[in-house]
Amino acid sequence: MKYFIYRLASAIPLIFGVCFLSFLIMQLAPGDPTLMYMDPSVSMEDLAQVKQNLGLDQPLLIQFFYWLKELFRGNLGYSYVTGKPVLQAIFERLPATLLLSISSLVIILLITFPLGIICGYKKDTWIDDSITIFSFLGLSIPTFWLGLIFILFFSIQLNIFPTSGFLDPLLYNASFFDKACNILKHMFLPLLTIIIGGIAGLIRYNRFSMIKILAQDFITSARARGLSEKRILFKHALKNALLPIITILGLDLPSLISGSFIIEYIFSWPGMGQLGVQAVFQRDYPILMATILFSSFLIIIGNFLADLSYAYADPRISKASNETHDT
Amino acid sequence: MRPMTPKILFSLVFLGTIAILALIIPFLPFDPNGMDPYLIGSPEAPSLSHWFGTDDLGRDLLLRSIYGARISLMVGLVSVSISLSIGVFIGLISGFIGGTIDMAIMRTIDVLMALPTLFLILMVQVTLEPSIFNVMVVIGVTSWMGTARIVRAEVLSFKERPFITACRARGLSEQKVLFKHILPHTLNPVIVAAMLGMGGAILVESVLSFLGLGVQPPNASWGNMLENSLGFLRDAPWMALIPGILITLTVLSLNFLGDGLWLLLDPKAKEKYAKHT
Repeated sequence: MKYFIYRLASAIPLIFGVCFLSFLIMQLAPGDPTLMYMDPSVSMEDLAQVKQNLGLDQPLLIQFFYWLKELFRGNLGYSYVTGKPVLQAIFERLPATLLLSISSLVIILLITFPLGIICGYKKDTWIDDSITIFSFLGLSIPTFWLGLIFILFFSIQLNIFPTSGFLDPLLYNASFFDKACNILKHMFLPLLTIIIGGIAGLIRYNRFSMIKILAQDFITSARARGLSEKRILFKHALKNALLPIITILGLDLPSLISGSFIIEYIFSWPGMGQLGVQAVFQRDYPILMATILFSSFLIIIGNFLADLSYAYADPRISKASNETHDT
Repeated sequence: MRPMTPKILFSLVFLGTIAILALIIPFLPFDPNGMDPYLIGSPEAPSLSHWFGTDDLGRDLLLRSIYGARISLMVGLVSVSISLSIGVFIGLISGFIGGTIDMAIMRTIDVLMALPTLFLILMVQVTLEPSIFNVMVVIGVTSWMGTARIVRAEVLSFKERPFITACRARGLSEQKVLFKHILPHTLNPVIVAAMLGMGGAILVESVLSFLGLGVQPPNASWGNMLENSLGFLRDAPWMALIPGILITLTVLSLNFLGDGLWLLLDPKAKEKYAKHT
């Protein structure tokens, strides 16, 4: 519990920092908000008055706190293009993004764990080599290109999966089950692309952590005691190998989330990533900034959860950090 | 450790070939923008006269691929040089000085690492004029955080070693201790990070050029060749396949080299391996 509070307390400055950076980026973006009020008849004095009314003549830091206050009240401004409130646009997109990223995360974990363990246990055999080469390949393929190739092969040539989108427009009034099936069908290709791009790192880490564990003295002593290999692997090694992977997962989150944004764009998946990339092209800075802000939040929350589960799995962690914290 | 020679050999041969071709191509009498007037509008599949086929404007894809390799390798080298310079410098300072400055730097890095870098890069690219130069600078400036963390950790592990205390006892200045005696020890992981970073930079460049925010046509880059292929996915799939395979193989080679070098340069990793076998 103490660790929970400590960890939460250290996440807050991080969120604050991300907010400040997003604000700065927004400030650096070209264009002046008052230009929207401009027409040739407006005099410079009136313009200055408008600026004063909007608080734009205040120092940057004061403006930041105004902005932060509005952020807390859920006001992130309005899209330059559609005029819709930014927060509404983001929340419309959030479910699709979460659906895609959480399911890919879960599947990646389920795949990489056994594969990494096998690689580490069967180190330097043909199984290890082929899994390693495959995972390196996944790391090196540009995911957006892989997505294109999948569209080319599965959608255009074989016509098994839809090329893009989220839900067939004809099915808006269909039953829940039909809708779910249709969404799954649309989700398959983007999901596959993200997974292939995402498993490499985790397999490598799992493999390495397994090798490290197997080289430790307590495994040797278990072997000396004549325990069966099965027992050593499942009872002694696995438990210890699991731990580091949780942190690595947290470290991998940013690239996973950034990577899935491009995939969303390629497959027209109506998530935050697609929204963000479109905003880039339309120079819709409020939307763009909100996308950056919210994906940072996702990353911070992910890291936070990873750290917590790590501490839960290994009590030494929370104890150690509590001690350093107290002194 | 069992040497991973086939992988490393493959990487060296592949990267070497590409690098040599990319270096000499401007001196050969070929024009990457030269169009075959008979083939405009109907891309030709790979054949003996055009090994990689031609694109929709009748341009030879082999030539364009080699010119694209120039761009990709250059982007990789330059942006990694930028990110390494920043990362090594900040990591050294942070680890060596310690205290509040170290704290401030590390927390800033935490914040920067929580931002989705790709969006920052995209945003800078639409705001500024998209060009090769900007691509390299932006990638370099947004990717130094990992290196800084690694270098800092290395500095911390060396700072208290007896030989450093000995240097101080001999009356060497702090700068000399830092740059002459600590810095060389931190370079091994940096070289590995450089290999992986080059691969990453090449991937980012391809995304940017694919979105039309990187290298601008008519200059060829693997990314904008992919963008160009979008309209011909059904009729001329080789236009999409070839640049993608080239990117994959280049990044794969760099990753293999990074991995191999890591085992080669880090005796401790070797030890761990030796112990188990």
